Amino acid sequence: MSEHDDIGGDFEGRNALVAEYVLGLLSAAEHERIGRLIENDPGLQAERDFWLNRFSALDDEYTESPVPPHLLARIEARAFGDTVQSGRRASLWNSLALWRGIAAGALAVAVVAVAINLSQPRFDADQMAIQLVAALQAQEGSGVEFLAVYDQSQGEVRITSLKGAAVPNKDFELWYINENQPAVSMGVIPVDQRLEIALDPATQANIGPGTVLAVTLEQTGGSPTGVAQGPIVAVGPAVAI
Amino acid sequence: MTMLTSPSQEIADLIARCAIRDRSAFRQLYERTSAKLFGVTLRILKDRAEAEEAIQEVYVKIWQRADRFVAGPTSPISWLVAVARNHCLDILRARRPASDDLDVALEIPDGNPSPERVAQNNQERAAIDRCLATLEPDRAEAVRGAYLDGYSYEELASRYGVPLNTMRTWLRRSLMKLKDCLTV
Repeated sequence: MSEHDDIGGDFEGRNALVAEYVLGLLSAAEHERIGRLIENDPGLQAERDFWLNRFSALDDEYTESPVPPHLLARIEARAFGDTVQSGRRASLWNSLALWRGIAAGALAVAVVAVAINLSQPRFDADQMAIQLVAALQAQEGSGVEFLAVYDQSQGEVRITSLKGAAVPNKDFELWYINENQPAVSMGVIPVDQRLEIALDPATQANIGPGTVLAVTLEQTGGSPTGVAQGPIVAVGPAVAI
Repeated sequence: MTMLTSPSQEIADLIARCAIRDRSAFRQLYERTSAKLFGVTLRILKDRAEAEEAIQEVYVKIWQRADRFVAGPTSPISWLVAVARNHCLDILRARRPASDDLDVALEIPDGNPSPERVAQNNQERAAIDRCLATLEPDRAEAVRGAYLDGYSYEELASRYGVPLNTMRTWLRRSLMKLKDCLTV
């Protein structure tokens, strides 16, 4: 699967650039330029992570040194002073660490989701809109779990994979199922990534407490027929929060 | 529910709790990691007053950016060290004269590096030590100085008494050699 990288002498300078970036050897202008290139290129990000991980093995050599005790109060004043106005809501969804950290049962997920809800600074009309959370638990040892949150005010489902790995030549597909009705596809979803799925008004109207969300393993690109063909790997009911 | 968690997992959890604005988690994270990060700022900035200012900014950044931490590719303590290290390097870089870029026309690689799995920390350490040992001693020292002390090309060139361009050529060759060795 992995081919040998053909790193010859010619590539010397080009390949060193990301390493130089990680080491911090570039000038301010170059550093910024390369930083932007890396942000937009997964291949370069992998290259950056390669070097970061390798060099971080040297971190042991930084000797610990206690911080003067009076600094903590200053840090907290500076850190917490500005938390009220910052929009926490959007960025929370970017936190894979958070969602992986709470990869437990549906109850735990719901509790945390409620806590987040309560921590919103204001309780305005938008917040009264329906919010649902579904913890899609692994089925039959699939080892695949997802967390889905539906926010009616945004008209979208946000889905995050909590556990599991991609399967070669297969895709995971998300479905919603209402009682006595066939499953309806919401599209193919990635593992190791968060995805926002915008829902059309008809779909929005069909999703409510008790709707079951399920993930199946389908051929690449998803089921071609619109009917689930593969095994269910994760499933869970939506509950209001 | 009781679970056995590694120190690394505990730190990852504290960072995740910071992302949901858990102040007590922030304090615990600070208690567990600030001496290490202060060590980073002291070593790179080499000035106690500046390091004290920097450590404050570093923890404010950690609080603000906790939601960007993604467990998996990097260990949580490496992530924290990187925040501190990058902050110090930004300070140093801003201070340096805007030197001519030595090689602005440089092309960036298309980049299809083989995916990397994170091995155990001590294995990583053994790997980097082994590969640094394949370089000539002063070049290995220069690479380490660039990473651990944040030395610039100018500083390295004067430390080793070679012209700037020579230093850059040295280091780039060394980095490519390192990469070959680390990728095997």
